[in-house]
Amino acid sequence: MRKLTTLYLIISSFLVLVLSSCSTLNVVKDYKSVNLETTKFEVPYFSNPEIDYVYKANITVYGNELSGIFITKKINDTIHRVVFTTEFGNKLLDFEISETNFKINFIVDALDRKILINTLITDFRLLLRKNYVVKKQFENNEYKVFMTEDGKINNYLFILKLDNTLRKIIYATKRKEKINLTITSENNSFATKISIQHYNIKLRIELNYLQTQ
Amino acid sequence: MKNKVYLVILIFCICPFIPYAQEQKMSESEIVIFKQVVREVSRKIKTLSTDFVQYKHLDFLSKDIESSGKMVFMEPDLLQWQYIKPYNYSIIFKSGKILINDEGKKSAVDVGNSKIFGKINKLIIGSISGDLFDDEEFAIFYYKNKNNTITKFIPKDTNLLKYIKQIELTFDKDDATVIQVKLFESSEDFTRIVLKNKVLNAKINDSIFNN
Repeated sequence: MRKLTTLYLIISSFLVLVLSSCSTLNVVKDYKSVNLETTKFEVPYFSNPEIDYVYKANITVYGNELSGIFITKKINDTIHRVVFTTEFGNKLLDFEISETNFKINFIVDALDRKILINTLITDFRLLLRKNYVVKKQFENNEYKVFMTEDGKINNYLFILKLDNTLRKIIYATKRKEKINLTITSENNSFATKISIQHYNIKLRIELNYLQTQ
Repeated sequence: MKNKVYLVILIFCICPFIPYAQEQKMSESEIVIFKQVVREVSRKIKTLSTDFVQYKHLDFLSKDIESSGKMVFMEPDLLQWQYIKPYNYSIIFKSGKILINDEGKKSAVDVGNSKIFGKINKLIIGSISGDLFDDEEFAIFYYKNKNNTITKFIPKDTNLLKYIKQIELTFDKDDATVIQVKLFESSEDFTRIVLKNKVLNAKINDSIFNN
Protein backbone atom coordinates (compact mmCIF):
# COMPACT_ATOMS: atom_id res chain seq x y z
CA MET A 1 0.00 0.00 0.00
CA ARG A 2 2.78 2.34 0.99
CA LYS A 3 4.57 1.50 -2.24
CA LEU A 4 1.44 2.37 -4.19
CA THR A 5 1.08 5.72 -2.44
CA THR A 6 4.71 6.52 -3.18
CA LEU A 7 4.24 5.59 -6.82
CA TYR A 8 1.11 7.69 -7.03
CA LEU A 9 2.96 10.65 -5.53
CA ILE A 10 5.82 10.29 -7.96
CA ILE A 11 3.47 10.10 -10.95
CA SER A 12 1.45 13.06 -9.67
CA SER A 13 4.56 15.15 -9.13
CA PHE A 14 5.77 14.25 -12.56
CA LEU A 15 2.40 15.18 -14.11
CA VAL A 16 2.30 18.49 -12.25
CA LEU A 17 5.79 19.25 -13.44
CA VAL A 18 4.99 18.37 -17.05
CA LEU A 19 1.66 20.23 -17.07
CA SER A 20 3.00 23.31 -15.38
CA SER A 21 5.89 23.48 -17.79
CA CYS A 22 3.44 23.00 -20.70
CA SER A 23 1.41 25.94 -19.47
CA THR A 24 4.20 28.37 -20.10
CA LEU A 25 6.28 26.43 -22.54
CA ASN A 26 4.59 27.48 -25.79
CA VAL A 27 4.81 31.21 -25.30
CA VAL A 28 8.20 31.38 -23.63
CA LYS A 29 9.77 28.11 -24.71
CA ASP A 30 12.99 29.80 -25.82
CA TYR A 31 13.21 31.90 -22.69
CA LYS A 32 14.78 30.98 -19.38
CA SER A 33 12.96 31.33 -16.10
CA VAL A 34 14.49 33.93 -13.77
CA ASN A 35 13.74 35.38 -10.34
CA LEU A 36 11.02 38.01 -10.16
CA GLU A 37 12.43 41.54 -10.23
CA THR A 38 9.00 43.00 -9.49
CA THR A 39 5.52 41.82 -8.57
CA LYS A 40 3.73 44.74 -10.19
CA PHE A 41 3.85 46.11 -13.70
CA GLU A 42 2.21 49.30 -14.90
CA VAL A 43 1.44 49.84 -18.59
CA PRO A 44 2.12 53.47 -19.48
CA TYR A 45 -0.01 53.68 -22.63
CA PHE A 46 -3.58 55.10 -22.65
CA SER A 47 -3.37 56.09 -19.01
CA ASN A 48 -3.08 59.88 -19.22
CA PRO A 49 -6.54 61.42 -18.64
CA GLU A 50 -5.35 64.63 -20.31
CA ILE A 51 -4.79 62.97 -23.69
CA ASP A 52 -7.35 62.22 -26.41
CA TYR A 53 -5.98 59.06 -28.03
CA VAL A 54 -7.03 59.04 -31.70
CA TYR A 55 -6.06 56.29 -34.18
CA LYS A 56 -6.88 55.25 -37.72
CA ALA A 57 -8.26 51.73 -37.41
CA ASN A 58 -8.10 48.98 -40.02
CA ILE A 59 -9.90 45.77 -39.22
CA THR A 60 -9.66 42.56 -41.20
CA VAL A 61 -12.28 40.02 -40.21
CA TYR A 62 -12.68 36.78 -42.15
CA GLY A 63 -11.38 38.44 -45.32
CA ASN A 64 -13.58 41.54 -45.01
CA GLU A 65 -11.89 44.85 -44.43
CA LEU A 66 -13.31 47.69 -42.43
CA SER A 67 -11.75 50.98 -41.52
CA GLY A 68 -12.54 53.90 -39.33
CA ILE A 69 -11.33 56.03 -36.47
CA PHE A 70 -10.66 54.64 -33.00
CA ILE A 71 -10.85 57.14 -30.16
CA THR A 72 -10.27 56.52 -26.48
CA LYS A 73 -9.84 58.56 -23.36
CA LYS A 74 -9.45 57.76 -19.70
CA ILE A 75 -12.49 59.41 -18.10
CA ASN A 76 -11.83 58.47 -14.46
CA ASP A 77 -9.55 56.23 -12.37
CA THR A 78 -10.94 52.99 -13.74
CA ILE A 79 -12.95 53.72 -16.89
CA HIS A 80 -11.99 54.41 -20.51
CA ARG A 81 -14.51 55.76 -22.98
CA VAL A 82 -14.04 54.17 -26.41
CA VAL A 83 -15.61 55.37 -29.65
CA PHE A 84 -15.26 53.89 -33.12
CA THR A 85 -16.42 56.11 -35.98
CA THR A 86 -16.25 56.02 -39.76
CA GLU A 87 -13.85 58.36 -41.56
CA PHE A 88 -16.89 60.60 -42.09
CA GLY A 89 -17.15 60.95 -38.36
CA ASN A 90 -20.39 59.15 -37.68
CA LYS A 91 -20.35 56.83 -34.71
CA LEU A 92 -20.49 53.09 -35.14
CA LEU A 93 -19.78 52.16 -31.56
CA ASP A 94 -19.51 54.04 -28.28
CA PHE A 95 -18.82 52.28 -24.98
CA GLU A 96 -17.27 52.60 -21.53
CA ILE A 97 -14.94 49.89 -20.31
CA SER A 98 -13.07 49.08 -17.11
CA GLU A 99 -11.44 45.90 -15.84
CA THR A 100 -14.77 44.78 -14.39
CA ASN A 101 -17.50 46.70 -16.18
CA PHE A 102 -18.70 47.37 -19.70
CA LYS A 103 -21.46 49.71 -20.82
CA ILE A 104 -22.60 50.39 -24.38
CA ASN A 105 -23.71 53.96 -25.03
CA PHE A 106 -24.41 53.42 -28.73
CA ILE A 107 -23.99 50.70 -31.34
CA VAL A 108 -25.22 50.55 -34.94
CA ASP A 109 -27.51 47.62 -35.68
CA ALA A 110 -25.00 45.99 -38.06
CA LEU A 111 -22.45 45.61 -35.25
CA ASP A 112 -24.85 44.68 -32.48
CA ARG A 113 -23.79 41.04 -32.23
CA LYS A 114 -22.96 39.38 -28.93
CA ILE A 115 -19.93 37.49 -30.25
CA LEU A 116 -18.46 40.67 -31.73
CA ILE A 117 -19.10 42.67 -28.56
CA ASN A 118 -17.49 40.00 -26.36
CA THR A 119 -14.44 39.94 -28.63
CA LEU A 120 -14.12 43.70 -28.43
CA ILE A 121 -14.44 43.62 -24.64
CA THR A 122 -11.51 41.18 -24.42
CA ASP A 123 -9.40 43.13 -26.91
CA PHE A 124 -9.92 46.53 -25.40
CA ARG A 125 -9.51 45.34 -21.81
CA LEU A 126 -6.18 43.95 -22.91
CA LEU A 127 -5.26 47.15 -24.73
CA LEU A 128 -6.35 49.58 -22.01
CA ARG A 129 -5.42 47.67 -18.86
CA LYS A 130 -2.93 49.50 -16.69
CA ASN A 131 -1.98 47.27 -13.76
CA TYR A 132 -0.69 43.72 -13.73
CA VAL A 133 0.47 41.47 -10.89
CA VAL A 134 3.53 39.56 -12.05
CA LYS A 135 3.69 35.87 -11.09
CA LYS A 136 6.66 34.62 -13.11
CA GLN A 137 9.50 36.09 -15.06
CA PHE A 138 11.46 34.86 -18.06
CA GLU A 139 14.08 36.32 -20.31
CA ASN A 140 16.30 35.93 -23.34
CA ASN A 141 18.98 38.28 -24.66
CA GLU A 142 16.49 40.73 -26.10
CA TYR A 143 13.38 40.60 -23.91
CA LYS A 144 12.28 40.05 -20.37
CA VAL A 145 8.82 38.55 -20.02
CA PHE A 146 6.44 39.10 -17.12
CA MET A 147 3.77 36.44 -16.78
CA THR A 148 0.51 37.26 -15.03
CA GLU A 149 -2.35 34.99 -14.03
CA ASP A 150 -6.03 35.77 -14.32
CA GLY A 151 -8.02 32.62 -13.63
CA LYS A 152 -7.69 30.50 -16.76
CA ILE A 153 -5.84 33.24 -18.62
CA ASN A 154 -2.17 34.10 -18.57
CA ASN A 155 -0.85 37.32 -19.99
CA TYR A 156 2.78 37.52 -21.09
CA LEU A 157 4.21 41.02 -21.21
CA PHE A 158 7.32 41.33 -23.39
CA ILE A 159 9.61 44.17 -22.35
CA LEU A 160 12.41 45.12 -24.73
CA LYS A 161 15.58 45.21 -22.62
CA LEU A 162 17.21 47.84 -24.82
CA ASP A 163 14.81 50.64 -23.85
CA ASN A 164 12.70 48.96 -21.18
CA THR A 165 9.48 49.40 -23.16
CA LEU A 166 6.48 47.08 -23.38
CA ARG A 167 6.40 45.78 -26.97
CA LYS A 168 4.08 42.83 -26.91
CA ILE A 169 1.34 41.19 -24.86
CA ILE A 170 0.32 37.60 -25.45
CA TYR A 171 -3.06 36.60 -24.05
CA ALA A 172 -3.16 32.85 -23.64
CA THR A 173 -4.92 30.00 -21.93
CA LYS A 174 -2.78 27.39 -20.18
CA ARG A 175 -2.41 25.60 -23.50
CA LYS A 176 -2.91 28.04 -26.32
CA GLU A 177 -2.09 31.55 -27.46
CA LYS A 178 -5.31 33.47 -28.18
CA ILE A 179 -4.31 37.05 -28.89
CA ASN A 180 -1.06 38.72 -29.80
CA LEU A 181 -0.95 42.46 -29.21
CA THR A 182 2.12 44.31 -30.46
CA ILE A 183 2.97 47.91 -29.72
CA THR A 184 5.31 50.48 -31.23
CA SER A 185 5.84 53.30 -28.79
CA GLU A 186 7.35 56.72 -28.45
CA ASN A 187 9.27 57.51 -25.25
CA ASN A 188 7.61 54.58 -23.50
CA SER A 189 4.56 56.74 -22.84
CA PHE A 190 2.66 56.78 -26.08
CA ALA A 191 1.69 53.98 -28.45
CA THR A 192 2.02 55.06 -32.10
CA LYS A 193 1.10 51.74 -33.67
CA ILE A 194 -0.80 48.78 -32.30
CA SER A 195 -1.69 45.49 -33.85
CA ILE A 196 -4.11 42.99 -32.30
CA GLN A 197 -3.96 39.58 -33.93
CA HIS A 198 -6.37 36.82 -32.92
CA TYR A 199 -5.40 33.16 -33.32
CA ASN A 200 -8.73 31.41 -32.75
CA ILE A 201 -10.73 33.66 -35.10
CA LYS A 202 -9.65 35.39 -38.30
CA LEU A 203 -9.50 38.87 -36.87
CA ARG A 204 -6.79 41.50 -36.99
CA ILE A 205 -7.07 45.07 -35.75
CA GLU A 206 -4.45 47.67 -36.61
CA LEU A 207 -4.35 51.09 -35.03
CA ASN A 208 -2.12 53.92 -36.25
CA TYR A 209 -1.91 57.11 -34.25
CA LEU A 210 -3.37 60.17 -35.99
CA GLN A 211 -1.82 63.58 -35.59
CA THR A 212 -5.10 65.44 -35.97
CA GLN A 213 -3.92 68.99 -35.43
CA MET B 1 -22.86 42.98 -43.06
CA LYS B 2 -20.11 44.74 -44.97
CA ASN B 3 -22.63 46.53 -47.14
CA LYS B 4 -24.63 47.54 -44.16
CA VAL B 5 -21.57 48.92 -42.44
CA TYR B 6 -20.63 50.92 -45.51
CA LEU B 7 -24.13 52.25 -45.76
CA VAL B 8 -24.08 53.20 -42.15
CA ILE B 9 -20.86 55.07 -42.71
CA LEU B 10 -22.78 57.42 -44.86
CA ILE B 11 -25.44 58.07 -42.37
CA PHE B 12 -24.95 61.24 -40.46
CA CYS B 13 -26.44 62.25 -37.18
CA ILE B 14 -28.30 64.92 -35.22
CA CYS B 15 -30.39 66.11 -32.27
CA PRO B 16 -33.03 68.44 -31.02
CA PHE B 17 -31.58 71.87 -30.74
CA ILE B 18 -31.89 74.97 -28.96
CA PRO B 19 -31.46 77.87 -31.36
CA TYR B 20 -28.54 80.16 -30.66
CA ALA B 21 -29.46 83.26 -28.78
CA GLN B 22 -28.85 85.50 -31.76
CA GLU B 23 -30.84 83.29 -34.11
CA GLN B 24 -34.28 84.42 -35.09
CA LYS B 25 -37.03 82.40 -36.67
CA MET B 26 -37.72 83.37 -40.25
CA SER B 27 -41.16 84.52 -41.25
CA GLU B 28 -43.27 82.46 -43.69
CA SER B 29 -42.67 84.93 -46.50
CA GLU B 30 -38.90 84.96 -45.82
CA ILE B 31 -38.89 81.16 -45.97
CA VAL B 32 -40.65 81.11 -49.34
CA ILE B 33 -38.16 83.57 -50.85
CA PHE B 34 -35.15 81.80 -49.28
CA LYS B 35 -36.19 78.38 -50.63
CA GLN B 36 -36.77 79.85 -54.06
CA VAL B 37 -33.31 81.44 -54.14
CA VAL B 38 -31.55 78.29 -52.91
CA ARG B 39 -33.38 76.13 -55.45
CA GLU B 40 -32.42 78.56 -58.20
CA VAL B 41 -28.73 78.51 -57.18
CA SER B 42 -28.80 74.74 -56.75
CA ARG B 43 -30.39 74.24 -60.18
CA LYS B 44 -27.53 76.10 -61.83
CA ILE B 45 -24.89 73.85 -60.22
CA LYS B 46 -23.43 71.56 -62.89
CA THR B 47 -20.20 70.95 -60.99
CA LEU B 48 -19.02 71.98 -57.58
CA SER B 49 -15.65 71.57 -55.94
CA THR B 50 -14.73 72.72 -52.49
CA ASP B 51 -12.16 72.27 -49.75
CA PHE B 52 -13.50 71.23 -46.40
CA VAL B 53 -12.41 71.02 -42.80
CA GLN B 54 -14.21 68.50 -40.63
CA TYR B 55 -14.43 68.83 -36.84
CA LYS B 56 -15.63 65.77 -34.98
CA HIS B 57 -16.95 66.86 -31.63
CA LEU B 58 -17.29 64.23 -28.94
CA ASP B 59 -18.25 65.69 -25.63
CA PHE B 60 -15.75 63.68 -23.57
CA LEU B 61 -12.73 64.76 -25.64
CA SER B 62 -10.71 67.84 -24.81
CA LYS B 63 -10.37 68.84 -28.48
CA ASP B 64 -12.37 68.27 -31.63
CA ILE B 65 -10.80 65.79 -34.07
CA GLU B 66 -9.86 67.74 -37.16
CA SER B 67 -9.53 66.35 -40.68
CA SER B 68 -9.58 68.05 -44.06
CA GLY B 69 -9.76 67.43 -47.78
CA LYS B 70 -11.64 68.12 -51.00
CA MET B 71 -15.11 67.37 -52.27
CA VAL B 72 -16.15 67.30 -55.92
CA PHE B 73 -19.71 66.98 -57.21
CA MET B 74 -20.83 66.59 -60.82
CA GLU B 75 -24.49 66.41 -61.72
CA PRO B 76 -26.61 64.41 -61.63
CA ASP B 77 -25.12 62.19 -58.91
CA LEU B 78 -21.33 61.83 -59.06
CA LEU B 79 -19.62 62.66 -55.81
CA GLN B 80 -16.06 62.32 -54.59
CA TRP B 81 -15.28 62.93 -50.93
CA GLN B 82 -11.53 62.92 -50.32
CA TYR B 83 -9.72 63.25 -47.00
CA ILE B 84 -6.11 64.40 -47.32
CA LYS B 85 -5.22 65.11 -43.69
CA PRO B 86 -4.45 63.37 -41.37
CA TYR B 87 -5.05 60.35 -43.61
CA ASN B 88 -5.60 59.64 -47.31
CA TYR B 89 -9.06 58.25 -47.76
CA SER B 90 -11.53 58.82 -50.55
CA ILE B 91 -15.02 57.64 -51.24
CA ILE B 92 -16.80 57.97 -54.57
CA PHE B 93 -20.52 57.63 -55.17
CA LYS B 94 -21.12 56.55 -58.72
CA SER B 95 -24.02 54.79 -60.45
CA GLY B 96 -25.14 52.69 -57.52
CA LYS B 97 -21.58 51.95 -56.42
CA ILE B 98 -19.42 53.17 -53.59
CA LEU B 99 -15.71 53.18 -54.45
CA ILE B 100 -13.28 53.43 -51.57
CA ASN B 101 -9.57 54.17 -51.61
CA ASP B 102 -8.05 53.78 -48.16
CA GLU B 103 -4.37 54.80 -48.29
CA GLY B 104 -4.09 53.10 -51.72
CA LYS B 105 -6.15 50.08 -50.72
CA LYS B 106 -9.08 50.06 -53.14
CA SER B 107 -12.48 48.47 -52.75
CA ALA B 108 -15.97 48.76 -54.16
CA VAL B 109 -19.41 48.13 -52.76
CA ASP B 110 -22.34 47.60 -55.09
CA VAL B 111 -25.40 49.18 -53.53
CA GLY B 112 -27.53 48.74 -56.66
CA ASN B 113 -30.95 50.25 -56.41
CA SER B 114 -30.92 50.30 -52.64
CA LYS B 115 -33.61 52.68 -51.43
CA ILE B 116 -31.55 53.72 -48.44
CA PHE B 117 -28.52 54.43 -50.63
CA GLY B 118 -30.71 56.66 -52.80
CA LYS B 119 -31.80 58.53 -49.71
CA ILE B 120 -28.27 58.93 -48.41
CA ASN B 121 -26.92 60.08 -51.76
CA LYS B 122 -29.69 62.65 -51.98
CA LEU B 123 -28.97 63.70 -48.42
CA ILE B 124 -25.26 64.28 -49.03
CA ILE B 125 -25.70 66.06 -52.33
CA GLY B 126 -28.60 68.05 -50.90
CA SER B 127 -26.44 69.05 -47.93
CA ILE B 128 -23.73 70.41 -50.17
CA SER B 129 -25.94 72.08 -52.76
CA GLY B 130 -28.42 73.27 -50.15
CA ASP B 131 -31.52 71.84 -51.77
CA LEU B 132 -32.72 69.52 -49.05
CA PHE B 133 -36.19 70.96 -48.71
CA ASP B 134 -38.20 67.77 -48.71
CA ASP B 135 -41.03 68.20 -46.23
CA GLU B 136 -41.97 64.55 -46.50
CA GLU B 137 -38.52 63.43 -45.33
CA PHE B 138 -37.79 66.14 -42.79
CA ALA B 139 -39.36 68.51 -40.33
CA ILE B 140 -37.62 71.72 -41.36
CA PHE B 141 -36.98 74.83 -39.27
CA TYR B 142 -35.61 78.12 -40.59
CA TYR B 143 -33.56 80.67 -38.67
CA LYS B 144 -31.49 83.70 -39.55
CA ASN B 145 -28.78 85.74 -37.91
CA LYS B 146 -26.74 88.73 -39.03
CA ASN B 147 -24.71 86.94 -41.71
CA ASN B 148 -26.33 83.60 -42.34
CA THR B 149 -29.47 81.61 -42.82
CA ILE B 150 -29.60 78.41 -40.83
CA THR B 151 -31.87 75.50 -41.69
CA LYS B 152 -32.43 72.56 -39.38
CA PHE B 153 -33.72 69.25 -40.68
CA ILE B 154 -35.10 66.53 -38.43
CA PRO B 155 -35.62 63.21 -40.26
CA LYS B 156 -39.11 61.74 -40.16
CA ASP B 157 -37.84 58.24 -41.00
CA THR B 158 -37.36 56.48 -37.67
CA ASN B 159 -34.52 54.33 -39.07
CA LEU B 160 -32.62 57.40 -40.20
CA LEU B 161 -33.42 59.14 -36.94
CA LYS B 162 -31.49 56.46 -35.03
CA TYR B 163 -28.29 57.75 -36.65
CA ILE B 164 -29.10 61.33 -37.50
CA LYS B 165 -30.95 63.38 -34.97
CA GLN B 166 -30.60 66.58 -36.94
CA ILE B 167 -28.85 68.14 -39.90
CA GLU B 168 -28.04 71.81 -39.76
CA LEU B 169 -27.07 73.70 -42.91
CA THR B 170 -25.65 77.21 -42.70
CA PHE B 171 -26.01 79.35 -45.84
CA ASP B 172 -24.08 82.43 -46.78
CA LYS B 173 -26.63 85.22 -47.00
CA ASP B 174 -24.96 86.76 -50.04
CA ASP B 175 -24.77 83.84 -52.45
CA ALA B 176 -27.20 81.35 -50.85
CA THR B 177 -24.66 78.51 -50.89
CA VAL B 178 -23.91 76.16 -48.00
CA ILE B 179 -20.87 77.14 -45.93
CA GLN B 180 -21.29 74.70 -43.04
CA VAL B 181 -22.92 71.32 -42.46
CA LYS B 182 -23.51 70.11 -38.93
CA LEU B 183 -24.67 66.55 -38.30
CA PHE B 184 -25.89 65.77 -34.81
CA GLU B 185 -25.71 62.23 -33.46
CA SER B 186 -26.96 63.28 -30.06
CA SER B 187 -27.26 66.49 -28.11
CA GLU B 188 -23.56 66.27 -27.19
CA ASP B 189 -21.87 64.74 -30.22
CA PHE B 190 -21.78 66.10 -33.74
CA THR B 191 -19.72 66.44 -36.91
CA ARG B 192 -19.19 69.97 -38.23
CA ILE B 193 -17.98 70.37 -41.81
CA VAL B 194 -16.87 73.80 -42.96
CA LEU B 195 -16.78 74.30 -46.74
CA LYS B 196 -14.15 76.68 -48.10
CA ASN B 197 -12.85 77.84 -51.49
CA LYS B 198 -15.97 76.71 -53.29
CA VAL B 199 -15.81 76.73 -57.11
CA LEU B 200 -19.03 76.39 -59.10
CA ASN B 201 -19.34 75.02 -62.62
CA ALA B 202 -15.63 74.71 -63.39
CA LYS B 203 -14.72 72.02 -65.92
CA ILE B 204 -14.01 68.78 -64.10
CA ASN B 205 -12.45 65.73 -65.67
CA ASP B 206 -14.83 62.90 -64.84
CA SER B 207 -11.91 60.46 -64.54
CA ILE B 208 -11.59 61.66 -60.93
CA PHE B 209 -14.69 59.59 -60.24
CA ASN B 210 -12.75 56.39 -61.02
CA ASN B 211 -11.02 54.58 -58.21
